[in-house]
Amino acid sequence: MSDTLSLILQQSINGVYLGCLYVMVALGLTLIYGVMNQINFAHADFVTVGAFTAFFVVTRFATKVLGLPDTVAYLMSIVLALASGALMGLLINATVFGPLRERGDELRPLIATIGVSVLLENGQLALFGPIPYQFDSPFGKETIRIGKIFFTQQSVLVVVCAALAIGALYWFMKFTTTGKALRAVSQDRETAGLMGINQGFLIGLTIVIASALAGAAGALIGPVLVLTPFAGASVVVKAFAIVIIGGFGNMEGTILAGILVGIIEAFTVQYLGSGVIDLVVFVLLLLMLVVKPTGLIAERREENV
Amino acid sequence: MASAPLRPADRASLLQVPRQWPAYLVALVAIALLPYVLSTPYWRGILVVCAMNVMLALSLNLILGYTGQLNLGQSGFFAIGAYVTTVLVKSYSWNFWAAALIAVICAGLVGLLLAAFAVRLRGHYLGIASLGFAVIAYQILLNWESVTEGVRGIYGIMPPSPIRIPGLPEITFSNPVALFWLVGGIAFVVYVVVANLLRSPVGETLRAIREDEVSAASLGINPARWKAFAFGIGSAIAGLAGCFYPGFVGTLVPDAFGIVESFTMMAMVIVGGMGTMIGPVIGAIVLTCLPELLRDFGELRLMVYGLALTLVVLFMPGGMVQAGQMLRARFSRASSGASR
Repeated sequence: MSDTLSLILQQSINGVYLGCLYVMVALGLTLIYGVMNQINFAHADFVTVGAFTAFFVVTRFATKVLGLPDTVAYLMSIVLALASGALMGLLINATVFGPLRERGDELRPLIATIGVSVLLENGQLALFGPIPYQFDSPFGKETIRIGKIFFTQQSVLVVVCAALAIGALYWFMKFTTTGKALRAVSQDRETAGLMGINQGFLIGLTIVIASALAGAAGALIGPVLVLTPFAGASVVVKAFAIVIIGGFGNMEGTILAGILVGIIEAFTVQYLGSGVIDLVVFVLLLLMLVVKPTGLIAERREENV
Repeated sequence: MASAPLRPADRASLLQVPRQWPAYLVALVAIALLPYVLSTPYWRGILVVCAMNVMLALSLNLILGYTGQLNLGQSGFFAIGAYVTTVLVKSYSWNFWAAALIAVICAGLVGLLLAAFAVRLRGHYLGIASLGFAVIAYQILLNWESVTEGVRGIYGIMPPSPIRIPGLPEITFSNPVALFWLVGGIAFVVYVVVANLLRSPVGETLRAIREDEVSAASLGINPARWKAFAFGIGSAIAGLAGCFYPGFVGTLVPDAFGIVESFTMMAMVIVGGMGTMIGPVIGAIVLTCLPELLRDFGELRLMVYGLALTLVVLFMPGGMVQAGQMLRARFSRASSGASR
């Protein structure tokens, strides 16, 4: 195998790993948008909350208090980060999305979540301070080598987690009654309501699932993150770009765009340097909005005048 | 809210002396006296920041409040104003005022450029696209090191150069009082121009687009053109505010123009009262001063922005202006009840 080819393969693998992380964050945004046409700006901070949860579980609770081995502690931190994300989802639904849902305004909930985001960031800043935290994944130490290609167990874990999350979501959406009801709500809220579907519960559930994904993503991305209270923002800004590139509210589009952005990022690092990643991603976003504002896979949407 | 009926008799030119001139006079006197009421250097500095934030809030309000476009990119235009001015002055030895003029024009043109395709987008898409613009602007500041010095920042920036008018003493801006008079005075002029603009048929057109774009288009209004117009003016005003920032702070680093700044401006507009003229002014002043008053609480003070923004959207969507109206209504009801 030639060097160029193995380099391309290597960067593609890195890109898929990164892309899977982004997909887990972006899926939550697209789920919420699909069901209720809303953007949750505090999603960023749910990622941060997940990462901090993972940090404290890995470095204090699981290892020092419970005396668990590193690997078990890290897996446990992913589960607890998921739970902390779900809790944040419950809270934001109870305080912001629930009360504002009936007022039929697309701007206000978004602005309220910007407020929640600023609140959470500065709250965490007050709690944890501005100095970055750092923790390692026990799966990130050893590299697996196949031919000239290297990757860590951590990247395998990330891809597996993302695949599990996507698989579970698809199973839930396609094969459970609740999932079908959810799709009905996302297609037409009023008619779904007339069919006796409890929208309030389903919308709350969507937000909780989306936030749990963000929390888990926080635990997975934590070891490679400069963990400050503002860390989530850098990830989610990219996730916003991904949901737009993929087509807002469309799961397949988001997954495709997430992997694509991950790969583009890997090659950008290789050929242009890591400083210009955001520049490349957002120029791509603006180009996409010029060329095809509906995203890679367009969601069929009727507009009432 | 239903769209306001058209009032042709209310048309005003940009420089017409408006009916509320007593209020304007009070504002001018306040601007003149404030540096002597709050006479510590610390509070004089905060006054300058207040005046800049008032301009920024006014600029965002024109786009968000009066035209209904979710714009999260204002920090980018603020940055253009600051960096274009500073680079022209420091690297090319331009006169400050010429540099500021070019900076404002640049910000306005970039605003029009962004608007050229942003007007096709609505609501959330526009929000993300403008956020994308802010991120790109920030990244350019970081990466274009030969011009912006990147993260190292630009240091030792002088205040606006003195104005020499023959026959009069030289007007310098090196002390904070004069700088506040300058920036506060410009903020006042911006307010008057924007207020008159919005009272004119142009304002009616923008409000019609905000309330119902399709109906507005059916009346022969070209929504894209007018939205781009609002975007251009709003961006230019944000750029104008940016011109004075570096001279006041003395240093210029990209971190001053992160997307958080866009959120802060939004908080000022919403907390004060979106879609009203005086609301964003009040919001900017309150949200600039409140964290300073809460300085004793350390990091917790910055939570004020988030908390205020969330609570206002949830419980008082019209912001402080609406709260004031409700209080006044209650008070007048109570007093009329007592006299009966």
